[in-house]
Amino acid sequence: MAADTIKRVSPFLDSGPHTTPGTLAIVALSRDNLIPVYLQDSKGAHDGYAEGVVVNTRYGSFPHSTLLNVPWGSQIRASNVDTGSRGRKRKRPEGDAGDAAGEVNREDAAANAVKQAATASSGFVHILPPTPELWTASLPHRTQVVYTPDYSYVLHRIRARPGTRIIEAGSGSGSFTHASARAVYNGYPRDGSERKGKVFSFEYHETRFEKMKNEILGHGLDGLVQLTHRDVYKDGFLVDGESPEAESIFLDLPAPWQALPHLSRSRPQTAEFAADGEKPWVSPLNPKKSAYICTFSPCIEQVTKTVSAMRRLGWVNIEMVEIANRRLQVFRDRVGLHIPTERGANLTPANVGEAVARLAEIEERFKEHSKASRSGGNSSTPTAAMDVDTNGDVMADANGAPYKIWKEGRLITKGEPEVKTHTSYLVFAVLPREWSAEEEEAAFKRWPCGGEEKVIGSLNKQARREEKIRIHGGKNKDTKKKVEKDVEAESKEAAAEA
Amino acid sequence: MYSVVQPNGWVALKLPSDTTKVLQVIPNTTISLGKYGSFPSNLIIHRPYHLTYELEDKREGESFCRIRVVPASELYADIFAEEETAAACSTPADDSDRIISATDGVEYSLVDPDSGTVVARSNREIIDDSARQTLTMEEIEELKRDGTGAGKEIIAKLLLSHTALDQKTSFSLAKYKLLKTKKYIRRFQVLPLDVPLLGKYMLEEKDASRVLDMRDEMIGLVGCWANVHYGGEDVLLEGPAAGDDEATEKERFQQLKEEVKPMTGRWLVIDDTSGFLVAAMAERMGILYKEEKDVNDEEASTDAKMDEKDDVHAAEEYPSEGTKAENGEEMTKSAGEQVHHRPRSHDFQVPFSQTNTITVLHAANQPNLSFLTYYGFDIQNPNHPPHPLVNHLLTLTWLQLLHPETDASYSTLPPSVSATQLAAMKPNRRGTYHRKRRRFARTRHIVDSARAGNFSGLAVASTMDNISILQHALPLLAGGAPIAVYSPTLEPLVELADCFSVPRRSAWMNPETAPPETVGKTAAELERWEGNDDFPLNPTLVLGASIQTSRARRWQVLPGRTHPTMTDRGGAEGYVLTGWRARPAEGRVEARGKHTAKRRKVEDRGASESAAATPLSDGMQVS
Repeated sequence: MAADTIKRVSPFLDSGPHTTPGTLAIVALSRDNLIPVYLQDSKGAHDGYAEGVVVNTRYGSFPHSTLLNVPWGSQIRASNVDTGSRGRKRKRPEGDAGDAAGEVNREDAAANAVKQAATASSGFVHILPPTPELWTASLPHRTQVVYTPDYSYVLHRIRARPGTRIIEAGSGSGSFTHASARAVYNGYPRDGSERKGKVFSFEYHETRFEKMKNEILGHGLDGLVQLTHRDVYKDGFLVDGESPEAESIFLDLPAPWQALPHLSRSRPQTAEFAADGEKPWVSPLNPKKSAYICTFSPCIEQVTKTVSAMRRLGWVNIEMVEIANRRLQVFRDRVGLHIPTERGANLTPANVGEAVARLAEIEERFKEHSKASRSGGNSSTPTAAMDVDTNGDVMADANGAPYKIWKEGRLITKGEPEVKTHTSYLVFAVLPREWSAEEEEAAFKRWPCGGEEKVIGSLNKQARREEKIRIHGGKNKDTKKKVEKDVEAESKEAAAEA
Repeated sequence: MYSVVQPNGWVALKLPSDTTKVLQVIPNTTISLGKYGSFPSNLIIHRPYHLTYELEDKREGESFCRIRVVPASELYADIFAEEETAAACSTPADDSDRIISATDGVEYSLVDPDSGTVVARSNREIIDDSARQTLTMEEIEELKRDGTGAGKEIIAKLLLSHTALDQKTSFSLAKYKLLKTKKYIRRFQVLPLDVPLLGKYMLEEKDASRVLDMRDEMIGLVGCWANVHYGGEDVLLEGPAAGDDEATEKERFQQLKEEVKPMTGRWLVIDDTSGFLVAAMAERMGILYKEEKDVNDEEASTDAKMDEKDDVHAAEEYPSEGTKAENGEEMTKSAGEQVHHRPRSHDFQVPFSQTNTITVLHAANQPNLSFLTYYGFDIQNPNHPPHPLVNHLLTLTWLQLLHPETDASYSTLPPSVSATQLAAMKPNRRGTYHRKRRRFARTRHIVDSARAGNFSGLAVASTMDNISILQHALPLLAGGAPIAVYSPTLEPLVELADCFSVPRRSAWMNPETAPPETVGKTAAELERWEGNDDFPLNPTLVLGASIQTSRARRWQVLPGRTHPTMTDRGGAEGYVLTGWRARPAEGRVEARGKHTAKRRKVEDRGASESAAATPLSDGMQVS
């Protein structure tokens, strides 16, 4: 039993202090160029590489042996790997290797010794522990992806917290699945009966479902994510006939309004549900808690239908928003004639002063030139020396001090060249729990009314006065002052209300 | 989170005027909603959240108003009627004349479901409400006093006595009704005061600057990018063995330090939002709310006591929430008693979990975490009743982090007396003795574990200079740990991002331009780089620094009238800088990439500029 229960925690939830074989790691080439890699401890040459499994990127080759057992976040130097002489079967031009954004080879290795990787003179990557954010940025696309700006807001709004049971339909590319698994995680259930936070994910598309299943398993998220291959419009959200008892729901479906009736607390009053009237109704929602929902639809028509269906099914606090996210790039805007020639600098005058000085200088030179030509001299006078700009390569300012390019220029921000202007509309709503007359009666018995002692909340004039009199007997001086103050505050309040 | 309203718990009441009232539900009191009326607090205790109630008229012989749950079908009656009308007349021919002039972006609805089609007329005629209203002020006041039908009667009367009612277009009519409804309908909704609602309330109705204008979008981004989540089951340090006597006391101090083996699942937070950020992070880690007791179990166990004085009962059962003065005395008493009954652990037993913790660094002597009181946690209370934050929230000052030896509570050894002397002490002095020793052990542990670093992530929302914060916080982070810095304004983050710019990193790596002090130092030594004018921070310690902002745009969704709301909150936008803690390789690392000068010449100025200044742009790799 012990072997079964001591399960490795997913690298997404606890990645440990360093990289280990068999787990997922993210190789960061640059901010937007991330490669997910399943690290392997290879026993011998692999796919023609003497160093074992190798990640090839435009910034060099990285045998897995150099990526393993290093602290997360480490900068890894590239290795000199003989890419030329290995089997010619999959020849590709070297220059293109980078555009393929790296290639991970995992085929069975021959059982001979792994060659020690030799460090290359240049090139490096960083190795990062997987998080839903990094995974979302690097994942293999299957459908439209729910990106971090959207899912971070959605999970916050639908109250996905440790211990929450969340329904997700469809799974899609799995970005939301990973993020929601992290949000609701409060430990792996020790056995089937233990109730922990869990993601109930439903996918209609069979290939996507299979891919997701492997991914969940590979990422150690089984036990936290229950994946079901299902048409939820038709068959609802029960898993093996049992209720997931969900408190949060995220629907990324083309027609959420067709799935909504299944998310009712009692049998919906429509023809299709009345048909199987003999079976008792099992709601997929937690009967004790309010259910929070978010639907994710790109078109306004979908929203209108969804909202209308929600109203009829008793959802309240319906709100629709869309998220606009912008990433900003930080630059140094280097403009001016005093700046040494360098890449990225704008060699135009920085201000009117510089412009005037330059014009005057040209004017002066022109005069001298014409004077010189008039006097017949055709030699290169000091002008030649003046033409030589301060310098090109040395990067020093006029005084010879090193020119600090990283500090020069005004700090500015710009949006990215391409912006996502619309992802989807998010419809949020809440379905309160059912509250029967018996429950109300019991609660009323437990908390009887009529014996109220004081008033809280916003008080009107009379109530406040009565309250004061009751507490202080309306006698001592302090009370009077207080009452006066209150009256003042009141009159202000009254004015504000008016 | 609780499934029903707790006695002495905090809730938010949403009123028809769209204002929110935040209050503590003290049993046996009357909750007043101002002009909308009042009702006994006992009527919402142990009732579900999110129900909409309507105040009923007082019954005969009762001194209070009962409340009635308003079903959703009633809430949406107007919209349903409208939808049906639209479905009935499928040709929207008369729509051409409509002029929609919704300037306030409110949801308005049609009045009369019975009449079927409402003749639409443009509202070019400006209707002066007061002039056309035939009911006099006195009559309205009288109706309000009678207060029948939860305000619906007065609304109906107002509409009927409006002389120009038939001149209104359906839209202006709907608006007029909505206006009057908001003013007179006696409805309210009970909402749980969780972090999203508290944020919304602070932002839109109270003082936005107290939470540094942090909107939901930003909390979501900070929480996700800092990868804040449940950090694993509690791990407690073993206490000193039983019979540990005074001889081992010295060793014990040493032990306190040695046993710090930083585990994962610990987050570092710098919070100048009065505890709002800490609350949001705690919510994500599952340590903000107390575990819910089953209402039925609780009832069974307390039923016997029910007949006793109700006040005492409530205070005993929910000691932590009874922050109001009356309950205060009983609260400390009961808490004190509890401590006595428990077999007392060794003074140097560290109460904190080693994982799933939040460590808060604060600038003042005491941390300002006042928002946590809404969740039943008071950082100042030394004998705190059970609450998850007690064992998972560690706070220390910047002084304690950077110069612990100068901090008295860390460096002053606690008193130590023999068991016989201790037995001879007066009870209250003995209590003080133990308290001092326990506080010492706590402080030691907090400071030592914080200084040992290895934090799993960093979340910052501070009014202090972020560069100075990161200078000391970066070395404390584990490799690959995510960083999320929130700022209400862009400029501080731009400065921070510039510290990690590509040109700066290249200059740092280049022996010619690197600060002379750094030459020959190892990467580990450079982690503690104290910064100078050229390099405020070690630019190689952060990977992928990038700034973003999000904004949720709200829409009104009504049949045929769906559009974005016309106004929204302005003020600070809010920005987040994200990145990862990198562990630079030893020595100089050369970048690789094809510096194709030819290509650069063809590109326009803007593109070449970005090649020079974008952090790790695509075309090349710069160390």
